[in-house]
Amino acid sequence: MTLLLKSLAILLVAATLSSANAEMILIKNAKVYTQTSAGNLENTDVLIEDGLIRNIGEDLSADDARVINAKGKVVTPGIFALMNQIGLVEVSAVEGTNDTATETEVLGASFSVDEVFNPESTLVPMNRAGGVTRTLIKPYNGNSLFAGLGSIMDLAGDYDPLIVSDVAVFAIYGEHAASMSGGSRAAALQYFNRAFSQAKEFSENSDAIKSGDYRELDLSMGDLETLSRVLDQDIPLVVNVNRANDILAVVDMAKKHNIKLVLAGAAEAWKVAEQLATADVAVIIDPMDNIPSFESLGKRYDNAALLTKAGVDVMFSSETHNAQNVRYAAGNAVAYGMPYDKALAAMTSTPAKVFGGASNYGKLMPGFKAELVIWSGDPLEVTTYAESVIIDGKLTDSDTRAKRLERRYKDISNDQNTFYRK
Amino acid sequence: MTIKQFSKSFLAAFTGAAFLVGCGEDEPSVHPKDSDSQAFVSQYKAHSYHPVLIKNATILTATGEQIENGSVLLADGEIVEVGTDIDEPSDDNLEVIDAKGKWVTPGIIDVHSHLGVYPAPGVESSADGNEMTAPVTADVWAEHSVWPQDPQFQLALAGGVTSMQILPGSANLVGGRGVTLKNVVGRSVMDMKFPGAPYGLKMACGENPKRVYGGKGQAPMTRMGNVAGYRKSWIDAKEYMKSWDEYEAGMGNGKPPKRDLRLESLAGVLRGEILIQNHCYRADEMMVMMEIAKEFDFKVTTFHHAVESYKIADKLAENGVCSAMWSDWWGFKQEAYDMVPSNVALVDKAGACAVVHSDSATVIQHLNKEAAKAMASGNRLGMDITPAHAIKWITINAAKAIGVDEQTGSLEEGKMADVVLWDGNPFSVYTKAEKVFIDGALMYDRNNQFKQPVSDFGLTNMNQQ
Repeated sequence: MTLLLKSLAILLVAATLSSANAEMILIKNAKVYTQTSAGNLENTDVLIEDGLIRNIGEDLSADDARVINAKGKVVTPGIFALMNQIGLVEVSAVEGTNDTATETEVLGASFSVDEVFNPESTLVPMNRAGGVTRTLIKPYNGNSLFAGLGSIMDLAGDYDPLIVSDVAVFAIYGEHAASMSGGSRAAALQYFNRAFSQAKEFSENSDAIKSGDYRELDLSMGDLETLSRVLDQDIPLVVNVNRANDILAVVDMAKKHNIKLVLAGAAEAWKVAEQLATADVAVIIDPMDNIPSFESLGKRYDNAALLTKAGVDVMFSSETHNAQNVRYAAGNAVAYGMPYDKALAAMTSTPAKVFGGASNYGKLMPGFKAELVIWSGDPLEVTTYAESVIIDGKLTDSDTRAKRLERRYKDISNDQNTFYRK
Repeated sequence: MTIKQFSKSFLAAFTGAAFLVGCGEDEPSVHPKDSDSQAFVSQYKAHSYHPVLIKNATILTATGEQIENGSVLLADGEIVEVGTDIDEPSDDNLEVIDAKGKWVTPGIIDVHSHLGVYPAPGVESSADGNEMTAPVTADVWAEHSVWPQDPQFQLALAGGVTSMQILPGSANLVGGRGVTLKNVVGRSVMDMKFPGAPYGLKMACGENPKRVYGGKGQAPMTRMGNVAGYRKSWIDAKEYMKSWDEYEAGMGNGKPPKRDLRLESLAGVLRGEILIQNHCYRADEMMVMMEIAKEFDFKVTTFHHAVESYKIADKLAENGVCSAMWSDWWGFKQEAYDMVPSNVALVDKAGACAVVHSDSATVIQHLNKEAAKAMASGNRLGMDITPAHAIKWITINAAKAIGVDEQTGSLEEGKMADVVLWDGNPFSVYTKAEKVFIDGALMYDRNNQFKQPVSDFGLTNMNQQ
């Protein structure tokens, strides 16, 4: 499809959507965790119209609105899941269903996966029914220390899932990067330095390079173009790294090339929290992981708490098939000292700030996107579930393949032969 | 080298496979041919400790009761009394713990763990869980791979885990014997072995064995190849058992048959001493495994992972087979595609033995919350499952699934004093185990760093207080 045709198609889809958005929803008497300076509001109403939050306050009314009684329920922004492969994989071990990595030598930093996101994957409704409304998908490293580009997708399940394309470049450093670089971290570090130096050369000599009047560079044109966006601080570089001194090495490397850096993994980040705060480096951690390895001997459950205390922006990574479980991980971070509102922000407003979309998503306030979840109770609690998930101002379908299976088999023992119905 | 996105759960699933093995080592052997009883005997000694009275607690007994403002008295390694009206014994050594606002449960039991056989750090040279050299390795014993200095044991302890079954991986049709351990530090695995616990024999259905061996161009390459492999082994085991029985009965030439470690384990199952712990995801395959058990007259004690148990919950109840399940893992491979989060609750509702297991060094630290998730999923389907009931999934039912329910798994007089004091409702994400008692001795105290064991590997971390 040509770019023009594609834009036309998007316009058409947008037109269809906006007519559907005319529906109004009024959520009554909820606890609303706004993620704004207004804080957490009791007995509060949220009015949704045309895909946006129109109003938040007490005793709101709207004649034509569909009313949801949310007494005792909690409303939060939808979960912004990070660093998973939703839409890129159905069954991990079944190769044909798995588009998460490439072994191709020529694709590194510029490997982009947003166009293969399958909105009809069963993982989309599964995670959406669990409260995930958007996700930052990223590929896995194939043969390059650069995994490629990440993009923000919505989980509405339609053919227009892209929110923002190519928001960050993902890379790895540490043990695994060393083994991919011939056996030493030092070689991996040299590779990064060379890649960014050449990206700078590319920026400064792009005409000559494109016309072939320049020496051949090591990276492909696409990778150089992508890395020059990183050098322009147009998009951040997200590096998966765990050992404290490895983290410092990456921070130095980023500083040297004037790169906007985000850390992932970051098991020992708490040890260098002050340095990260000073360098304004945000981190994406897994608050459920405390299993030590040689590159993460200092891994501990209060990593999130210690980093937050030092003023570092903390976010949480998520698993692909159960990205919604990030809220339990957030609960674990709270159990080990992270302030509650920071833990909620870590999966809503903080990633919106770091990766884009902060101007219309991640907080509950008038004018922002109506992308939110009504929870049966405390959203970080293991016995709570998402009752209603609203994306673009519309209630989404809460059915999942698992629920279909449940309906089929829940009374099997007294209804032996009638369960094979859709 | 590539990183695949599924590496973590995929590996876990790959290594996880269960069979039951039972063979009471500390009892005199009834079968003179099974001279195992002389070697690798449990050397576990309960730590001596003063009597402890925990009072004003909310107590989940795992017998179905929730007692408010209750007390538990522990002495000499045993639970002496549980209830609301316990007289404080006059003993100068008695420690009284006021547990107002806190909860007490039996120690958590994980029936599916690879701690010690896949220790941290996860280096290849210590990965000792899968003897992937032949489809039937009933001769190998997980305990001979267990590294007692695995720091993951202490992480599990901080999660309230007092006992666990360590299993070989699931690469093989028969992967070898599993062993049940008390979660205590020891210089050898014998120091950790749960006294009197039967062995488990790990078997695996489905994808793993056929991938591992089919990939090498050898049998099994298909599920039908898997089944042929199991049946051939049981035929051999029957013969072996018969030859020993005949020898014992004074028949033949009077010479004992030659010991065969592989067949000894299988014959132990046929004699009912060793419990089958069977990694099996799909309902149809579990049905086939129960047929094989019928054919050769043994019992499958527990299906592990059992992602599709909800489809045959009635049959599992009928056959008295336990299912050890996750709350919500799915999608890492084809046979894990049909997960429902109400699996545990549906199995339980059908009257079958339901267990929540981990197969993970991380999940083992949070089994209380996994049980809570499973409980909530059942209640969403309209069931009315209480914490008093759901606690059984990680305590007494787990004990049953590995054959130690006479000794532990519930708060009842005379049982081992394996007890957890939680700082709140254990079915909350915010709750942590505060004190963990094993056989009445305080083995972990969250508020006292001198009561937090550290493995030898734990000393590696030079820059952390």
